[in-house]
Amino acid sequence: MDVGRGRRLRPGLGTLAALVLGAVVLGRLGRRYLAQAAVENWTTIFVAIAFQALPFLVLGVVVSGAITAFVPPDLLPRLLPKRPALAVPVAAGAGVVLPGCECGSVPIAGRLMARGVVPAAALAFLLAAPAINPVVLVSTAVAFPGQPEMVGARFLASLTTAVVVGLVWVRRGHEDLVERAVRRHEHTGPPWQVFIATAQHDLLHAGGFLVIGAAAAATLQTVVPRSVTDRLAEHGLASVLVLALFAVLLSICSEADAFVAAGLTQFSLTARLAFLVVGPMVDVKLIALQSGTFGPRFAVRFAPLTFVTAVAVSVVVGGWLL
Amino acid sequence: VTREAGGAVTLLVGAITLRLALTGDFKRYVRPGMGPLLVAAGVVLVGVGLAVVVQSMRRRPARSDAGSHDHAAHESPDDHEPERVGWLVLAPVLAVLLVAPPALGAFAVDRVSRVRVTTGELFQPLAAEAEPHPMSLLEFMQRAADRDGASLSTTTIELTGFVAGEGPSGFDLARYSIACCAADAAVAVVAVVPESRIGLVPDRDEWVRVIGTYESGSEAPTIRAVSIEVVPPPDDPYE
Repeated sequence: MDVGRGRRLRPGLGTLAALVLGAVVLGRLGRRYLAQAAVENWTTIFVAIAFQALPFLVLGVVVSGAITAFVPPDLLPRLLPKRPALAVPVAAGAGVVLPGCECGSVPIAGRLMARGVVPAAALAFLLAAPAINPVVLVSTAVAFPGQPEMVGARFLASLTTAVVVGLVWVRRGHEDLVERAVRRHEHTGPPWQVFIATAQHDLLHAGGFLVIGAAAAATLQTVVPRSVTDRLAEHGLASVLVLALFAVLLSICSEADAFVAAGLTQFSLTARLAFLVVGPMVDVKLIALQSGTFGPRFAVRFAPLTFVTAVAVSVVVGGWLL
Repeated sequence: VTREAGGAVTLLVGAITLRLALTGDFKRYVRPGMGPLLVAAGVVLVGVGLAVVVQSMRRRPARSDAGSHDHAAHESPDDHEPERVGWLVLAPVLAVLLVAPPALGAFAVDRVSRVRVTTGELFQPLAAEAEPHPMSLLEFMQRAADRDGASLSTTTIELTGFVAGEGPSGFDLARYSIACCAADAAVAVVAVVPESRIGLVPDRDEWVRVIGTYESGSEAPTIRAVSIEVVPPPDDPYE
């Protein structure tokens, strides 16, 4: 973390103090401009999404920190079948018990591969875990009160996508695509310190990307006139594609995306399902994370494959259940 | 982000979350039921932040906060990116501190979905009471849609909402309902037609309590107001 200390300035406590002080001064000067209705409206929605998602993010981060610190790392590989075609669905299903968001599952999948799990199975886990774990399903249920079918559809579509992509990877994937040895920055030391360090790291990481998503959603809601989104929302398949692409660009954490989806009331439930299925599997921040973990050659193949599969499965499941 | 700065950011986010939860200001953004969850999240964040700050301060004299870190591991590119993106966590905190954004107001009325009321529900007539009958805007709209407000008849109704703008012969009274947070709001709008002797036309975004009776036969749900009173914003601005 302090590679390069001395060579370049590291942002630290001084930066934090400067940021807060600068913002306070700017805020005082610009209060009369900040009070404009559009700015206030943007800020209200931005803050609302951030604080609605925060308790779920904290819960996910605490659980993933506890798993990293207190669960033996070789437990999962030992539980998987040796045959890839069997290991894929089992690994995808194992995502149910590992709460966390997608940023957490990328390093876990990397670690699984390094410890000898079949890559396709690790990838199925990577896709399924952020979408079908209890924390995410509960937050989906909270975001869509009175619509339990949304929770069921999300579970089914995400699990199916993960298994399909995993099986395709068994046949088509190449070992050398994931050869980049996964030497992740792993916190070591007494379990409690590992817990604190992992929770802190994941919180800042996932929280930062969540803030980007909240800002983008608030901007769309404030700037885009209703007539435009209404017209887009009218076309069945087009609206599915629009929201799927929207999920890729927004890069919202899976623990929070249901709340954003609930706000996209002009779109059909199937389109919002596609948003919820694609979001935790393919988005701008994940592509960056995956390039970093497995290599760019991996990411340019894996992301399009997953995107197409997720959209197709969402349309089928949405048409059936919603 | 150095370890101690990351800890300080976490601590700050936790402290602001606790403040929002304990002052009740959070109800401008999310459902009242989120209160306990926000308190719990705030407590955890403050705890983690404090632990990180204390740990890194203890280590500092030895000048080895990398003591437990493996330098070889720092070469993976995604190890740096999360660090930088972490600063963004400050954005909502600073927004709360600086802008203190209010609950959704008149600006968003045309930008969110309108409450859709479908007929079909049969309401029992309201019992005649001496006092005005308080009612949510949503219920007023539902009763209005049911047989042209038959269940409302001439009962005196009390509605509380904010002024969304001028209406055809008065003003529009509005209030949002939220399922989860302000990002998913839907708005209920009732037209207010003041009795001519009232005179008072409140400003946009001002909260008012309107007392009056249902005006049958109008296109939008309408209340003929005998009294309009400016009130402070309610504790929970949403229905």
